[in-house]
Amino acid sequence: MGLFSRTKLSDRSEQAAQKTLANIRARRRSRFRVLACIDGTDASYDTVRFAARLTPQENSAIVVFYVRPIDKGAQSEGLNVRVARQNLLEAGGQLPGLQALKKSLEILKEEGLDVDTWDRDTDHQDAWGDPVGDNKVFFKSKTGRTVVLKLKTAPDVASGILDQYHYGPYNLIILNEPSRWRGNFKSIFDAGIVQKVTTMAPCSVLVAREESLVNEGFLIYNDGTPRGMQAIRRSAVLAHETHQPITLFAVAETDEERKEVQESNKKAKELLTSLGIHDVKVKSAVGDPIIQIIKAGAKSQIIVVPDEGHSRLKRVITQSTAYGVIKGAVTSVMDVR
Amino acid sequence: MSTQQFDLARESLQAPDPRQVTHIRLAGYQSWVRLRSQINLYYFWEKRWFFIAMLAGFLFLQMPTPAGLSHEGHIVLAMSLMATIMFVTEPIPLPTVAFLIVVGQVVLLGLSSNVVAKSLMTDSVLFIMGSLMLAVAIVKQKLDKRIAWLIVRITGTKTVWIAFGISVASGVLASFVGEHTVAAMMLPVGITLITLTSDDPKKVRNLAAVLLFSISYGCSIASIGTPSGGARNAIMVGYWKEFFFDPANADTSKFLIDYAKWMMYAYPMFLIQLPFVTLILLTAFKPEYRDLSRACTRLRTQILLEGPLKPADWMAIVIFVAVLYGWIFLSAELGMGIIAILGAIGFLVAGLVRWDDINSGVNWGVVWLYAAAISLGVQMKNTGAAGWIAENFVAMLEPIGADSGIGLWAAVSALTTAVTNTMSNGAAVAVLGPIVLNLAEVAGENPIIIGFITAVSSAFAYLTVVGTPACTIVYASGYLKTTDFLKVGWRMAVMSTLVLLLVATFYWPFL
Repeated sequence: MGLFSRTKLSDRSEQAAQKTLANIRARRRSRFRVLACIDGTDASYDTVRFAARLTPQENSAIVVFYVRPIDKGAQSEGLNVRVARQNLLEAGGQLPGLQALKKSLEILKEEGLDVDTWDRDTDHQDAWGDPVGDNKVFFKSKTGRTVVLKLKTAPDVASGILDQYHYGPYNLIILNEPSRWRGNFKSIFDAGIVQKVTTMAPCSVLVAREESLVNEGFLIYNDGTPRGMQAIRRSAVLAHETHQPITLFAVAETDEERKEVQESNKKAKELLTSLGIHDVKVKSAVGDPIIQIIKAGAKSQIIVVPDEGHSRLKRVITQSTAYGVIKGAVTSVMDVR
Repeated sequence: MSTQQFDLARESLQAPDPRQVTHIRLAGYQSWVRLRSQINLYYFWEKRWFFIAMLAGFLFLQMPTPAGLSHEGHIVLAMSLMATIMFVTEPIPLPTVAFLIVVGQVVLLGLSSNVVAKSLMTDSVLFIMGSLMLAVAIVKQKLDKRIAWLIVRITGTKTVWIAFGISVASGVLASFVGEHTVAAMMLPVGITLITLTSDDPKKVRNLAAVLLFSISYGCSIASIGTPSGGARNAIMVGYWKEFFFDPANADTSKFLIDYAKWMMYAYPMFLIQLPFVTLILLTAFKPEYRDLSRACTRLRTQILLEGPLKPADWMAIVIFVAVLYGWIFLSAELGMGIIAILGAIGFLVAGLVRWDDINSGVNWGVVWLYAAAISLGVQMKNTGAAGWIAENFVAMLEPIGADSGIGLWAAVSALTTAVTNTMSNGAAVAVLGPIVLNLAEVAGENPIIIGFITAVSSAFAYLTVVGTPACTIVYASGYLKTTDFLKVGWRMAVMSTLVLLLVATFYWPFL
């Protein structure tokens, strides 16, 4: 009856499997990984420039990412679009996105990453029944720094980006300026790509705006909460490593609260000083936080706002400062989680 | 500045473990996202139109049967209402709607499953299936560069004439083998000419728009030219036969529209529109290069490298010509479907295409969709549902004087254009066909003219990327923006409607 007896994996084997998994995860998380999303427009290449500048360390990885929607068949009245695609490729045509990824590589070179001298590898995976599927080119320097150009196939761009997170994980997702940003209630039903990714991404998101690269400095918003203090610490470390001046900024809604926010700023500065980050400016203002942050950060390279983590219902009723700033700012905004 | 060094991965922005992402742990919005990813509440939002369609059908069935409509007609109307909502909104894959129609006919209408199964396979469906197989076989022959060179030899190297030549070549081919086939085949031709002119897409932005739209709109206007130009034409041919032909009555034989007769009606309309396409494109987009000599020289080099036509190429041309001959001269006896299937057999037997290529290239779900839509259309006629809608529609048009003549034609054309821009044009004709043909009877109009107006107007989906197969295919090149379709599409729609009304008034009544 040995055929029907159940045999279990030994405890030792189970432990070995768990250990391997833990090692893989630890290895992935030991790198500072940035996902720069491009869509082929000129403005979208700013995400690549930001990715290059925010990853100064040798253990960092940049993934430049272009999502190509699936070739759907139903609209072609019976002939799958893949036939046309295959015909185009065989005739020497290119997939949409390939040109944009090549241009991104040139931009990375301009930013000082000499990928031509790095080791190079390619990979292909079938995806969504599309034979063209997912494709990536992988560059690795001798010191361990990596750049990946990835052309992904997905039903829609936002889900493609969010799905990619699971292959990371990533420390930061960089997106281009949104063409539209719906109100909190409307966004439940109809959000654009940037809004959808920003609200649903598990990690921090940088919404890059054109020409903010010529500005200098991180304006870090201090909302006085423990969560905000964590965001200050983490974003200040990034600013410090990328040699950007730091300004801590707090907003009191009334004059009576001004003292309180100044106290909070003082605490935040002390925290950074204890970490060895010394050159920190402190500013405060009175008024509506969203308006004041946008005004104060207009000349900064990046405005940093902590994600409140409010429930969706609360956001519909109250409004999120982080999303208000992302929507209205004229410079790039980082939503820190 | 301090020299303190941090490890960014550990001490700066955090990358939560993806495993934790699916864990309901933290408070706030992310936990809602996680919860949603676990139990997928979004499913109900994504599929809302499916539930709305089901609810609308259920409520419609609960209403008392309208006066003049049979109980069966009431059920068929409810099914049509649900199918139309799902055709437009696509909450589930379209072939699933086809399966629901099949099941609905047995469960709701009480028809025998054998009767329903038989109603699915008509000559029109066989024709659609055969044409799609032929389409894949023809695309696989790789004759695109030779066609491009043939165009250049005739037109010369000026951009204007090449664009016109592409429209003519795409159109003439598309009128016989379907717009999707030609768009797939000609796309590399357009891309070759564009990339040989400049590698930088920005420098050839307008040139790309002119050449690619010459392909797609050339194909679209030609798809009305013959029954094999698009599935919707075959569907209308099937409806005329099903609704009006009586073997016992010789007078009804005029409703047997064969291949040649269709061409007499529709082909001139395609030819009239041809020069307007180039004119509209050149006014909407001013090409950056007036002459494509450089691209043409490189194209010639590529042709020379390929050498003369091989025996397999000649064989493909012979089979293609034989199929055309069969469609024009033999379809009255053999049926258009059998000839299309014979053509596909010819390509397979000659080893010019592999079954695997046909199997993966044809979207078999769409064949199911048309089969089920035609079957439902026949039930609309048989149960009197189509007649009931037609009577009410005519009564509605009466106060504005559009219940007959050119007013009715314009109303039918506008209705079809509106519907075809929201769903697949084959599905639009399948849904509207029974209604407009009954409408013709009620209004005392010629069903053939009204049928042609519907079939032709269903090709006027120029405004969106997914409007016609040819538009979807050229958009896949990555050179066009969705706004380009709007920019030029409305001009095309106006031009085509005017040409249609002129042809319907001054030409069709004399045939």
